Amino acid sequence: MSSSKPSPAPVTIRAEKVSKVFGDFVAVHDLSFSVRKGTVTAFLGPNGAGKSTTMKMLTGYLAPTSGSVELLGKSPMETEARIELSRKLGYLPENGPLYLDMTPRELLGHFGAVRKLDKLDQAITRVVEQCAIEEVLHKPIGKLSKGFRQRVGMAQALLCDPEVLILDEPTSGLDPLQIREVRSLIRQLGESKTILLSTHILQEVEAVADRVLMVHEGRLVFDGSVDELKADSTLDERFYALAAPAKPSTAKPEKAKN
Amino acid sequence: MGLDWKVVYALARRELASYLANPAGYVFLTLFIAATAAGAFLQEGFFARNLADLALLNKVMPLILMLFVPAVTMNLWAEERRVGTDELLLTMPVRDLEVVLGKFLGALGVYTVGLVFSLANVAMLAWLGNPDSGLMVATYLGYWLVGAAFVAIGLLGSMFSSNATVAFILAALGCAALVFSGTAPWANGIIGCGLFAAAAALVWVSASGSGKFAGFVALGGALVGLLLWLTGTWPGFVDAFGLLGVDQHFYGFGEGVVRLGDVVYFLGITTVVLYLCTFMIGRRHW
Repeated sequence: MSSSKPSPAPVTIRAEKVSKVFGDFVAVHDLSFSVRKGTVTAFLGPNGAGKSTTMKMLTGYLAPTSGSVELLGKSPMETEARIELSRKLGYLPENGPLYLDMTPRELLGHFGAVRKLDKLDQAITRVVEQCAIEEVLHKPIGKLSKGFRQRVGMAQALLCDPEVLILDEPTSGLDPLQIREVRSLIRQLGESKTILLSTHILQEVEAVADRVLMVHEGRLVFDGSVDELKADSTLDERFYALAAPAKPSTAKPEKAKN
Repeated sequence: MGLDWKVVYALARRELASYLANPAGYVFLTLFIAATAAGAFLQEGFFARNLADLALLNKVMPLILMLFVPAVTMNLWAEERRVGTDELLLTMPVRDLEVVLGKFLGALGVYTVGLVFSLANVAMLAWLGNPDSGLMVATYLGYWLVGAAFVAIGLLGSMFSSNATVAFILAALGCAALVFSGTAPWANGIIGCGLFAAAAALVWVSASGSGKFAGFVALGGALVGLLLWLTGTWPGFVDAFGLLGVDQHFYGFGEGVVRLGDVVYFLGITTVVLYLCTFMIGRRHW
């Protein structure tokens, strides 16, 4: 009996020697990684590590200074490809920006119209349930707590039932119970979608991620599983060791694995 | 692929609804109607002329719009940038031009609502006398076209800063350039220098792909304009920039004459400025 190895899932997100420079500041330096379909990957790093900038490049909001990014095999830098990709992409930007004068229902209706979604009412019902925002559905977003706003942001990201979810600090501002619920939702969504989330919370990585990409000062300093990250020391110790002020001579990124 | 007008409509509707759901929107509409009524009827000579027209309002309408339109447009993009929703919007399946047109048409809708309410002035004229309907249609078409050009300029002003006050000032300055162009040689000269500065910065930014040193390049452009003007190297400098004035193109509408050249002037300005807005949104990729 021949035991054929299952072929690896296709690569959904790919970054190839990506750099982003703002004036004299190098936000992202020569970053290369890929994320396969159906995995939850955590972008771990201290504040200012370059996580959000990388995510902005993956979504097509910013262009890399050098290198290339691909989502579902296409470059988000080409307008028509970006339009097509963004129909399959859910994105929660950092701090969950929303129109504060709208109610969650109006906001979801608006973005559904912008996305030209078929069966918009059904889609809204689905995400309202997934993100548990029924009780605030008709209240102005500006009057909601940070936690509810974050959940409305998540609902917005899930509205198009995306193949790829990019979440920039999805549990920021949530209370412990809400954090647990969002993590559970991410795990559940991760069974069918590709998820890349950024965080600087180690417990979050352990709770939801299959794989960790750790960045520091714009460079990839670790690429592997949570178990590998914890292999030779505790997760906390490893994180603080990697996030310590970089020594240029020893700060070579480990080889990226696909 | 072409524009998707459903997307443009969705964006414009949000803009219009947001404005009309806000008390500030109604304050604007009330003040606008009051200002136009004052311009039409409370100026000296209205009753002495014994004519049922809006000639007196026409003289001050560009000045009124120069202040009111930037108040409508100042938040169009500045607020998106301040809150961060621009990132959300620009990662949706929308083209930059669709975003610009959606914002523009939404704000133009607000202005159009204001104009519709200002028809109370025409009703007042009809009560006082017998205004010529053709003249009124032409006059209102003129108001609408001036407003469209100013809304585009306001949107452009809103793209330069995430601060609404700065956006208002920039937009008002842009509108003022068109309002005061053609009124005096010195005004034409200053506007010419300003356009030289803007053109130099735009060419520099397009060629270099970066905003670095754009301020210095703009200053250089302004200096070139100043030299052309003051040394008389370009004798037609003052006259050329005097042709940009709103007044001389709006005048015909107030007389009941719709000239193709005047319509093209307003639509041309609107189109060029909307193109610049699209360019500004594309700057995020630098």
